[in-house]
Amino acid sequence: MSLPAPRFATALAVEAWKLRRSLALLLAAVAPLLIAAFLFFNMTRLRQPMPWDTVLQTSAAIWAFFMLPMCVTALTALVAHTEHGPRAWDHLRALPLPRWHLYASKALCVLGVVAAMSVLLALLSLAAGRLAGWWQPAVAASGAPDLAGYALLLARIFVAAWLLVAVQLWIALRFASFVPALATGIAGTFFAVVATSAKVGVVLPWQIPVNQLATDPARADLALAVGALGGAVAFALMLWRMGRREALA
Amino acid sequence: MPAAAIETHALTRRFGARTVVDRVSLAVPERSIYGFLGRNGAGKTTTIKLLLGLLRPDAGRAVVAGVDVAADRIGAARKVGALLEAQGFYPHLTGRENLELTRRLLGLPAREVDRVLDVAEMAAHGRRRVADYSLGMRQRLGLARAMLGAPPVLVLDEPSNGLDPEGIADMRRFLRELPARTGATVLLSSHLLDEIERTATHIGILSQGRLVLQGALSELKAGLACEVAVGTDAPERAAALARAHGFAVEQRDGELVARFAPQEDARGAAAALNRVLCSAGVRVHALAPRQRTLEALYRQSAPAALA
Repeated sequence: MSLPAPRFATALAVEAWKLRRSLALLLAAVAPLLIAAFLFFNMTRLRQPMPWDTVLQTSAAIWAFFMLPMCVTALTALVAHTEHGPRAWDHLRALPLPRWHLYASKALCVLGVVAAMSVLLALLSLAAGRLAGWWQPAVAASGAPDLAGYALLLARIFVAAWLLVAVQLWIALRFASFVPALATGIAGTFFAVVATSAKVGVVLPWQIPVNQLATDPARADLALAVGALGGAVAFALMLWRMGRREALA
Repeated sequence: MPAAAIETHALTRRFGARTVVDRVSLAVPERSIYGFLGRNGAGKTTTIKLLLGLLRPDAGRAVVAGVDVAADRIGAARKVGALLEAQGFYPHLTGRENLELTRRLLGLPAREVDRVLDVAEMAAHGRRRVADYSLGMRQRLGLARAMLGAPPVLVLDEPSNGLDPEGIADMRRFLRELPARTGATVLLSSHLLDEIERTATHIGILSQGRLVLQGALSELKAGLACEVAVGTDAPERAAALARAHGFAVEQRDGELVARFAPQEDARGAAAALNRVLCSAGVRVHALAPRQRTLEALYRQSAPAALA
């Protein structure tokens, strides 16, 4: 039976299909839900109504500052473990398709899940704000939500996170053990939190996304450029290195 | 000489200073079941990874179904289905879903999954999660996956590993029927001599990274020395007497074994030995010809492997 030429779209579809019933998808749903729950309880404990802009800014800040780096750490480790766990790499790498297909499809899948988490966060944050106002009308968020501004902010945070995703995914794919990926992610997030205002934060992958909330637009733009371009370069390097990597004997 | 489905030419692979595969030149005839033998660590899995393009050789080359692996890895991979030691199934997915993933990556029609499930006799278990499979079922699913797309060459690394005796017998029957059912050539790596002897048509023996013997199993066995076990109450004296009369004997596992060249009249030679021993007063109570076995071949070719 003759086989057709391998298509990248197929590898991508297969990678997405593998996520079915996986912990990675559960994480993608739970993390934005936690932020929305926090917003709801935070609003209902206040005595004064909070402006919609503050509600949405809080949501984006929690996401960019802590939840996103931690989620990317866990998500990349889980996605890589899909193959590391059952030792499936040899089987996949022996198949008649370019090896970069395997790694690029994984990278795109992770980016897709992070993008989906951003969308879910936006929807759930708006829902949490509305629910809090319905539950306690006295603290209903004031003003009108700037949906376009909020969507743009989340989009910038997403693009700025490419370098973070690339670094974490590369480590997770390179090492079969969870430990190097988790240790790097936790250490990176820790330094991002304790050195929030450090100038170097603009190039620290775990801190680049939160720089999108900076009051100085130049700093936010620089961080966005570093995150996007650095991420693209890191992804390209990862595909090249991982594609050439030999199986362990 | 039939065409070779797999050939390697002085294939060599080193890890640091250690040469794991040392100038190995395999010749696996088409539609044969080639038993690739060697003890653990002999270099079988490394050779297989070289054949599949998972490792790059330091020297030499591998050709699978006429395609040079180094020059065209993807082209060669299209000709091979492999069952590796680590099967690599996703335990959270069903057997059918696992096959479906590979089928899609290979761009095969949907009916192909049903076909290989049938061939591997796994159709009844396709909808169960792989996490719930026994080891034997996983091995069969691995075989089913290797057969997706009906590749002309199947490379199976230790397919009987971890199976119970019933599972091993099932696997043996299945493998023996494979070339006739699918037309494929099977390279079967194992360290189980008995299984290879009952399954393979050809063998290659790897010892410390070197191919020390290969060929058709029946021809190799026919070329073996004939052995006769001599039952006697005085083996030491019998051995000395036999050697004094020019017989080749050795004491092995507590018994005396006489060896005769393949071309020799073994019956006549055994009778002559009997006469020598009896006339010297050594009581002989049995002369038992030994079958020409793969173990004997292995013992001659790779004695270190049996140590």
